Amino acid sequence: MSSQTGVQGSEVPRLPGMVVRPVERRVYEVQIGPAHPGSGHMRIFVEVDGDVMTRVDPDIGFVHRTMEKLAEGRDWIKNIPLFERMAILDACNITLPYVEAVERLLDLDPPERAKYLRVLLCEINRIASHLYGFGIFGVFLGHSTLYMWAFGDREVFVQLAEDLTGARLTHSYPVFGGVRRDIPDDFPQNARKATRYMRGRLDEYARIFLNNPNIRSRLEGVGVLSKNRAAELGVVGPNARASGIKYDVRLVEPYEAYDRLDFEIPIFEEGDALARAWQRVEEIKQSLNIIEQVVDWLEKHPREGFMHDKFWKTAPKLYRDVYEGKIDYAGKYRVKLMPLFATLKVPAGKASARVEAGRGEMFYYVESDGKDVPYRVRVVSPSFRNVIAFKYVMPGHRLMDLPAIYGSFDYFPPEWDR
Amino acid sequence: MSGIQVLSDIGWGILHYIIFYPPVYQYVIIPGFAAALIIVIFIIWFERKAAARVQMRYGPLEISPRTGGATQLIADLLRYTVQEIIVPATADFLPFILAPNIAVVLALLPMVAVPMTSISEYWPIPMGYSLLIAVALSTLSPIFIVMLSWASNNKFAVVGGLRESFVIVAYELIAVISLLAATPMTGTFNMVTIVNDQLSGRWLGLLNPIALLTAFIAVLMSTSGFPFEIPDSESELVAGPYTEYSGLMYGLNMGAAYIRRWAFSVLISLVFLGGWAPYRPTPGLVTGYLVPSLIVTVKAIIVMAIMSFLRAVYGRYRLDQALSLAWEVMIPLTLAAFGISLAEAYFGVVP
Repeated sequence: MSSQTGVQGSEVPRLPGMVVRPVERRVYEVQIGPAHPGSGHMRIFVEVDGDVMTRVDPDIGFVHRTMEKLAEGRDWIKNIPLFERMAILDACNITLPYVEAVERLLDLDPPERAKYLRVLLCEINRIASHLYGFGIFGVFLGHSTLYMWAFGDREVFVQLAEDLTGARLTHSYPVFGGVRRDIPDDFPQNARKATRYMRGRLDEYARIFLNNPNIRSRLEGVGVLSKNRAAELGVVGPNARASGIKYDVRLVEPYEAYDRLDFEIPIFEEGDALARAWQRVEEIKQSLNIIEQVVDWLEKHPREGFMHDKFWKTAPKLYRDVYEGKIDYAGKYRVKLMPLFATLKVPAGKASARVEAGRGEMFYYVESDGKDVPYRVRVVSPSFRNVIAFKYVMPGHRLMDLPAIYGSFDYFPPEWDR
Repeated sequence: MSGIQVLSDIGWGILHYIIFYPPVYQYVIIPGFAAALIIVIFIIWFERKAAARVQMRYGPLEISPRTGGATQLIADLLRYTVQEIIVPATADFLPFILAPNIAVVLALLPMVAVPMTSISEYWPIPMGYSLLIAVALSTLSPIFIVMLSWASNNKFAVVGGLRESFVIVAYELIAVISLLAATPMTGTFNMVTIVNDQLSGRWLGLLNPIALLTAFIAVLMSTSGFPFEIPDSESELVAGPYTEYSGLMYGLNMGAAYIRRWAFSVLISLVFLGGWAPYRPTPGLVTGYLVPSLIVTVKAIIVMAIMSFLRAVYGRYRLDQALSLAWEVMIPLTLAAFGISLAEAYFGVVP
């Protein structure tokens, strides 16, 4: 952004903190946002010459909640519900790297079953996140049917997550040393039903949206992000893969149980908005495969050991009975976390971890000085890596392409603003 | 003569010479303002219900579950009516207030030029050139949408008004030519003759389906229906030309588009879908006027319902795509449709 305070020779008053941006004579400035019906809170300065955008400037930070600073004053465990607020519909993926980083500092490895359970919720979240993005994408293009369908079908996976964790959105499911609870008995059959249903629905999505000539003409060749440009800008996640970059944290640095699962990383070469939409459809298909594999594994293996012994051995008998499913705890007892979490002190050190969240690579850097709160937590979220692409992809397109490009990148302001 | 007698005479006079005076009646009752209001309410309800059916939800329901939420729109209308009307200080007051009203008034004007029956007693105006007059009157209203967008003095409104004017220029020729494609086959601009010719069962829409299609698409474009909902595309232009309007004024703006769509639907059903065919009006107020006008109304409602249903199927085209569709595809197609009409008239394939 070329900014300067005051324009030479003009009558513009200089006020403290005021930024005056000179606009060319033939150009008309339109501000999209900050309170936008579809996008969440972010502003885009757009300069249009006729109907063509000449300069696009994403202005971020409207939902900044100082999460990194807040994290320095909270117990280690309480930061998990805090970080979930970045993207509540992708809660497991968003908090998992924090949990992993702290586990590295604690030098403990969660049990095998916990790893599979985490993968299960991660993939459920990924599907829910992609469907959310699809819904917003649809309504940006004026296609209200896709919006309703995607949000309606997302409910299936939100329900699965609720069966698994007890919460629809902010699950706080992965905790240090394992996960909060095991799957209910009827979960595998529900999950298989959901995957079967979703495969059928994806074909219908293709029929009404992706192969609809009206939508195709809006998306084909629009917002092309070439492979080189994507690499230069450091775009991550499905957007990078839709531009032909074969990069996925699940692939290059497998975490949890991903190295034991059989799945593909779909790649598209075109790099336009249509490719980014198809990319998400293909990823949903792969996630459905992964869910089925994980559910098979969970059924074949005994229901034990979803929490590391360091925490498990501090649990009183009631807790163990409830966790092991011996007591029907639905209405009778409030089951809290293991007592050790409340007084947890993490050894001094530095650790980092990353996972592939729904929108791309999620990275945490955690530093501890041995106290019961973190010394520093640094968060780099995928939406931050992706937002810069707007500035370079949008100019040259027409103003009506802005929603198409914006929606295709699946940008999520609260995630970057933290 | 008693006072009551005088009053009832005056009342009868008002009823007979003002309300039931055909131009006033057609403008105010059927198919004009009152019918349009009811039909717009019904169509919006239908639009929401049909879209909801496709989209796996209920649509309006809770306000009266037994009627499927049919009174929802009346409640909405009441809310619009009593809402505060805010005029921005930067807006140009007079055009800001006047333009929506004029747009609605003009949108209803074609109603005065269309026949609802073949009985000459109930024609609003002499029918000699009624098709030409109706088509001409239908093109007046959009100018005021451009005007109100300029009067709003708002960037979104100006961009929306600009788009509106682009779209108007693109669709108007299509609408006019495709409606006038009926004239070679019938050899007249008289809408009564056009409809009476179709009593044979060979509707012009069947003889020249391309003209019907182009007229249909032109109406979609003109009234910003999907997939051409471009001037008030909410994802980048809040509410387009209507951004600064609130309360009843916004309701008027929204209503004007629907009323235009209604007027065009009446025109299409008269010209292409046989008007009151297969019914033959006979003298008498009910059988000669009310019944045929209701038949035309039902046909027009069906045309309008199809237009509304497209919301559930399509997204919106980009402005330049819609314009190139109009100029590069639709206008040649419309001229072809006119050519087909001429050829059919030459070879005697007439209704």
